[in-house]
Amino acid sequence: MTLETAILASSFVEFPFEWHYVRSIVRVSLYVSLVAVALSTLFSLPLALAIGFSEFRGKRLVTAVINTGMGFPSVVVGLVVLFAVSNQGPLGPLNLVFTPEAMILSQFVLAAPVVTGVSLAAVSGVDRRVRDAAYAMGGTRLDVALVVIKEARYGIATAILAGFGRAVSEVGSVLIVGGNIASADGTSYTRTLTTAIQLEARQGRFETAMLLGAILVALVLVVNAIVIRLGGTGGRYR
Amino acid sequence: MTLALEGVSHGYGDGFVLEDVSLTAHSGEVLAVIGPSGVGKSTLLRLLALFERPDRGSVTDDGTDVWTLSTQERLAARRGVATVFQEASLFGASVRRNVEYGLRVRKSWPARLRHELATRLGMPTDAAVLDALETVGLADQLDQHAASLSGGEAQRVAFARALAYDPDVLLLDEPTSDLDPRNTALIERAVLEARRRDIGVVVATHDMHQAERIADRVAVLLDGGVIDVGDAETVFENPADERTRKFIDGELIY
Repeated sequence: MTLETAILASSFVEFPFEWHYVRSIVRVSLYVSLVAVALSTLFSLPLALAIGFSEFRGKRLVTAVINTGMGFPSVVVGLVVLFAVSNQGPLGPLNLVFTPEAMILSQFVLAAPVVTGVSLAAVSGVDRRVRDAAYAMGGTRLDVALVVIKEARYGIATAILAGFGRAVSEVGSVLIVGGNIASADGTSYTRTLTTAIQLEARQGRFETAMLLGAILVALVLVVNAIVIRLGGTGGRYR
Repeated sequence: MTLALEGVSHGYGDGFVLEDVSLTAHSGEVLAVIGPSGVGKSTLLRLLALFERPDRGSVTDDGTDVWTLSTQERLAARRGVATVFQEASLFGASVRRNVEYGLRVRKSWPARLRHELATRLGMPTDAAVLDALETVGLADQLDQHAASLSGGEAQRVAFARALAYDPDVLLLDEPTSDLDPRNTALIERAVLEARRRDIGVVVATHDMHQAERIADRVAVLLDGGVIDVGDAETVFENPADERTRKFIDGELIY
């Protein structure tokens, strides 16, 4: 007996949708959030290293702006991204309104400050003398950056996790730019776990909402476990 | 490789820490730079290590001004120099990974990947790594994590890390000021071994007795400049500058 049939058999409710519908929601959620966090990491980690390594006027201001970005209201981000991708907006020609890619964009904007801010704190926590040692042993700037990343790997793993948590659990902006759309054939197009939960709860299908909620929590747990494991195995190697 | 400062002045913010300093490190010779704390010994070593470009004057490698070279050429010059700092500053990895570091960054990326694979497959450690660790008496600690070492052991590993890639010049910034007599003696023995390998050693220290024990030449740094430089014996027994005599006798209060 598969897990799906087991849950179906033991439940007292009849699900108003098919399992492939649930699967498609999970797929959209994962696609949007993982891509958004991957892009945020690619963007934020070099930025955090650059800010952490250099001394310049206004560094405190930049840090303050990043930290403010961490708490930016997601609905406002959604609104701004919607303007950006709308027909009259600068990204209008790309036709991104109500697409998963628009949701990636808004989640990127939400996750990037979190990944940058937490990574920056981790990178800044690496002893300057360790950087000097890497440089003194003949390391290039890239070698020094790699040493710092390895020394700060737990903090950076935390940053990526925090970014993923922010992205996957967020409702406001994906609702605005994605539109919570499911196709006529019962599969999700821009419906994520969060927006689906919101919809199901509003329509009184609480069991369904709770099942989706459980899946969301399980997803976050699994991703956390994977990232912590990756952050941990770097221990012996440099 | 002969590394030299020529008429170097350098500072941070207001005024110079060092003014018009000239000093040469010869291979196979131990040069001690002595002077009270805060006199600019570390700055002098950072300039020799090519960490910073001097505000005035030049740093030369066999007569060539290093800061007129291209980035790649300067990297090559920098890779002839190794520095050991006052604190060990080891990486959060095994002793072996730490000591290998200098060798690893000198490899091409494909060679590094191959080395990484070989390490994971349990290939034997590089002979240079074992040799460097033997010099400081820690060859049996290969697989220890750096964090599990005592302060003295960590500093000896830092020394081995600098020695492993066979530099031409070895710079030591107060390498034993935090160490007990036994670890100090082990480091000093390793310094003499480095000299035997024809490495030029520059050691900044405020420990005059250490300078007497290991140095061939001594430079006295005071008031932003080298006030006295010469054979260790001459400087200690018959200093040219009255301030040197006072500093050695402990009469100079800073």
